[in-house]
Amino acid sequence: MSVVEVAGAPPLAKGPSHVPVVDMDRGGGRFHGSERRFFGLLVRGALYLILTLGLYRFWLTTDVRRFLWGNTEVAGDSLEYTGTARELLIGFLMALALLLPINALIFLMTFAPGLLKLSGALGLLLLALLGQFAVFRARRYRLTRTVYRGVRFHQTGSAWVYAVRSVLWWCAIALTAGLAYPWAVANLERYKMRHTHYGNLTGRFDGSGARLFLRGFPLWLVVMVPFVAGLAAALAAVDWIALGAATATDGANARLRFEEAGPSVAAAIVLAGAGLGWGALAAVLLYPLFRAITLRWWLSGLRLGGVAATCHLRAGQVYAVYLRFIGYALLFGLGAGVLALVVLGVIGAASESIGESAAAEIGSALLVVGGYVVVMLGYSAIYQATVMIRFWRLSFETTEFAGLRALEGVRAAAAPSSPFGEGLLDVLNTGGGL
Amino acid sequence: MNRSGPAIYFDGESTARRAVTVEIDPAAVLVRGAEGRLLARWPYGELEEVASHDGALRLGRSGSTKLERLEVRDPDLIRIIDALSHPVDRSGTRTRRSRRKVVLWSVAAMISLLLVGIYGVPLLASRLAPYVPLSVERRFGEVVDAQVRAMLDPGQQGRNFECGWAEGEKAGRAALERLVGRLAAAAALPVPLSVVVVRRKEANAIALPGGHVYVFEGLIDKARSADEVAGVIGHELGHVAHRDGTRSALQAAGLSFLFGLVLGDFVGGGAVVIAARTVLQLAYSREVEAAADLYAVDLMTKAGGDARALGAILERITGAIEPGAKILLNHPETRERVEAIGRAAGGKAGRPLLAPAEWAALQRICAGS
Repeated sequence: MSVVEVAGAPPLAKGPSHVPVVDMDRGGGRFHGSERRFFGLLVRGALYLILTLGLYRFWLTTDVRRFLWGNTEVAGDSLEYTGTARELLIGFLMALALLLPINALIFLMTFAPGLLKLSGALGLLLLALLGQFAVFRARRYRLTRTVYRGVRFHQTGSAWVYAVRSVLWWCAIALTAGLAYPWAVANLERYKMRHTHYGNLTGRFDGSGARLFLRGFPLWLVVMVPFVAGLAAALAAVDWIALGAATATDGANARLRFEEAGPSVAAAIVLAGAGLGWGALAAVLLYPLFRAITLRWWLSGLRLGGVAATCHLRAGQVYAVYLRFIGYALLFGLGAGVLALVVLGVIGAASESIGESAAAEIGSALLVVGGYVVVMLGYSAIYQATVMIRFWRLSFETTEFAGLRALEGVRAAAAPSSPFGEGLLDVLNTGGGL
Repeated sequence: MNRSGPAIYFDGESTARRAVTVEIDPAAVLVRGAEGRLLARWPYGELEEVASHDGALRLGRSGSTKLERLEVRDPDLIRIIDALSHPVDRSGTRTRRSRRKVVLWSVAAMISLLLVGIYGVPLLASRLAPYVPLSVERRFGEVVDAQVRAMLDPGQQGRNFECGWAEGEKAGRAALERLVGRLAAAAALPVPLSVVVVRRKEANAIALPGGHVYVFEGLIDKARSADEVAGVIGHELGHVAHRDGTRSALQAAGLSFLFGLVLGDFVGGGAVVIAARTVLQLAYSREVEAAADLYAVDLMTKAGGDARALGAILERITGAIEPGAKILLNHPETRERVEAIGRAAGGKAGRPLLAPAEWAALQRICAGS
């Protein structure tokens, strides 16, 4: 698949196959990380995550990025991730310093009854804005930690402007039942890429929302139309007058009257259920196709100075990725289930001899929590080692870059940025707290 | 041994890629360009190994403001540089050692966090709860009251959620008020009490901060005497007197702060945080319930009723609950509780708090019109 190999630059006398091919204006990316090693890294990381109740995540995230970046090669040179776990930890502490008082304020506001409703809505808006702010700033951190040929990427632009745009676009997406999605992504991506720089090269995004809409609209129709039709049919089937009479009357005969209105209600439930079931099934089956369409569209729209990307990702490749994940996930689920049965059997036998006590109860509760953590971390590792890494690989290996010579005379032009955004993202993703 | 070899050099100012020759000098790595011109001289102590793929050693210069990079792919040369330079750590021994340190200190931090969670937070909460002004507690109680009411109210059409307002229920409400009045006089609490019976089938009662007590209809159905109902109300008044609602709110907030923010989220640890909180709260609540039981016994004795009645109704109610679900119950082992109540109450039976006619009226408090 790799264009570099197909083009066949004359093999150099010494060194492995990834010896740089300099005289090329067109070429694909390559990824030569071993998935087995990546999985090992994730499993070891999961173990440490359990031991440290999650604090190890800064080191694991950094290891994962160093692995992905370092094994990714474009035009003969590999990327480099220069971020450190210590920076992520500091970013987290910075975010904590900001969010602790906000958290305390929201908690105190619950003491004032009148403010409660207001604080809920305000809090939600603030959270949405902060979340998008964090997304943009975290992207800046990642870009300034990405080095290629001794020159780093960087990002300009205002995170608040991005946050407001993003929240407004997501409102539009919600109001149009998803139809605004292509234009939203195109607009936000244009903002991000316009402010993305590699040395003195500036990025651009050429993807068009209308194009993505034309590609994705059939999928939207297949999922949404039967769903809406089912719902509409359900609403039409109910004898609203009879039902209204049944619920308006109080007293013992309300239930009886409700049952009289019954046949139409039952039909409505069946219709709505069929619509909903179809919608859910179609959404699951078409999701990989949707991912393939959006990823191909997004990659093909990326520009950096004179470099243009064209992606040739096929939907079949994305389906294969998900099928592989499902296979491994089922195997893991089976193994975890058998193990859980054995553990439960042992505990059952033990508790008969020991009897019940408070300590035993707390112990068994902790065991349940521990089992949950192990299963979730296991699935996460499998997902990252099958889906995430394959998407990374496919993104580079199915993409052809044109105008690569533009990368040869780039001048360095930026300093690293603060890890605050990453920390904010980390804190906001936490289940507890806010 | 090979003392020089090919490499690629980026000067950190532009992306121009230079094919260079690396020479191993006793004190430094020398980078020479095509014509033999010296491009860079990096002392071994200033070398920094940066992330790359397996086949290459990528070097930077520590302390440099530029991102100069030297990429060596010749295995012999990599071995020599690794041996000569202290910061270069190809085998990963030092990285592993520093990782082990990170893990060990994190484990220590987590243990101390857990200890603070188990012992520190409840202690702090019970020390702080008395200093929360009663006016704040009452306002907080109103907020919680509105939420709890919305949660409990099944929304039966045409029926008031609170019992005692229909024509046929008024006598029951009068009996309840008399019963609560006798308990309140004995308790002499600094907050106004509001005890109501609500239409819920469970045999239970709950107390909220600020003196709101809800007795469920199911409890009245299960009770065999007014003193049993009084015992349960007494238990709930114990929670009010000990300010347990405020204390548990403070505890929940403290635990959220402690775990919610520090424990991060690689896969969705939110559920774990909630589970950990439930288990910890459970451990506190055992002592809290036992204290409320003793308060109820004391109160019933002061009011002149049957202090053992609480034990009797507890046994009847919890006997019906299947044993497997016990971990989620907020109450300690029934047998232990009943025994403790019996010990505290002594042998005296006391006189019923309500006359038989009043008890009959109370039993019909949710009967409807």
